[in-house]
Amino acid sequence: MFFHIVLERNMQLNPRFFGRNLRENLVSKLMKDVEGTCSGRHGFVVAITGIESVGNGLVRNGTAFVTFPLKYQCVVFRPFKGQILEAVVTLVNKAMSISFMYLYDFFFWLHLIPDDTEFQAGDMLNYTTSDGSVKIQKECEVRLKIIGTRVDATEIFCVGTIKDDFLGVINDPAAA
Amino acid sequence: MSGEEEENAVELKIGDEFLKAKCLMNCEVSLIFEHKYEHLQQVSEDPMNQVSQVFEKSLQYVKRFSRYKNPDVVQQVREYPLSFFSFVRVYMPYDFDRILSRHQLTEFELCVLCNLCPKTAEEAVAMVPSLKTKGRAHSDEVIEKMLNDLSLVKRFE
Repeated sequence: MFFHIVLERNMQLNPRFFGRNLRENLVSKLMKDVEGTCSGRHGFVVAITGIESVGNGLVRNGTAFVTFPLKYQCVVFRPFKGQILEAVVTLVNKAMSISFMYLYDFFFWLHLIPDDTEFQAGDMLNYTTSDGSVKIQKECEVRLKIIGTRVDATEIFCVGTIKDDFLGVINDPAAA
Repeated sequence: MSGEEEENAVELKIGDEFLKAKCLMNCEVSLIFEHKYEHLQQVSEDPMNQVSQVFEKSLQYVKRFSRYKNPDVVQQVREYPLSFFSFVRVYMPYDFDRILSRHQLTEFELCVLCNLCPKTAEEAVAMVPSLKTKGRAHSDEVIEKMLNDLSLVKRFE
């Protein structure tokens, strides 16, 4: 789920960036350092939307670098256990799991697909139900429920299911 | 982080920080990202180089899964000037915030409902089980009314 929150960070700046463009340099350094990173607590910082405040800089002892405390607003993506969301299948493989998701390919593993679906090899790897009515393959949209998350310092892994009510394939472009 | 109460969105145990934070629907995120992308296009020639892979993939994701496509409607309901360095919320009638306060939903619940657009009360409760808990005990009629309110907004698109 996407959230818009305020985070704080201490940014260190090299004296060669001082001058008229100090603030711009600080902001672009912040964006380079922080956007696209992940923390266990806040999830992925997807985009910085604004700077709330820039504190006074403190010169570090023994060097000429200056540390600025920065408060900035950003959009973060943080998945929660029990949350239901929609995603696109990006990879199907044989080990009774389908890897997701459109957002971050390395991010979601889908487990616990319904019992009556079977893996079909061929041109388009997919999982099909026994009566052939539902096909789960690459590029199809699925609604899933996150049943577990593992949070590291820098990454979040999730396991999801489509086994519950109202979950599963919602749109299959190939079938249209 | 051992010793912390286990997270569970089903029971709305997502931590105080996120319960009180502003939750964003996919359509709103899509507007924000597009605006940011335009801003980057003005500033540099090759904006795709400037953004992280996470941003690119998120942009694709929210574009694909936005339920409310008309940016005017989305902007009206939570109106804010999308200038890069400021966010201001202005309330308008028939907006999501009235639905929020009228039905005592948290932002998280509202966003899940708007992202998934359930059609019936049963589906809504399956998507957001905390509708029936947390001391509010919404009956099915109330939930249907809530879904009607949300779809009314969509009808103005």
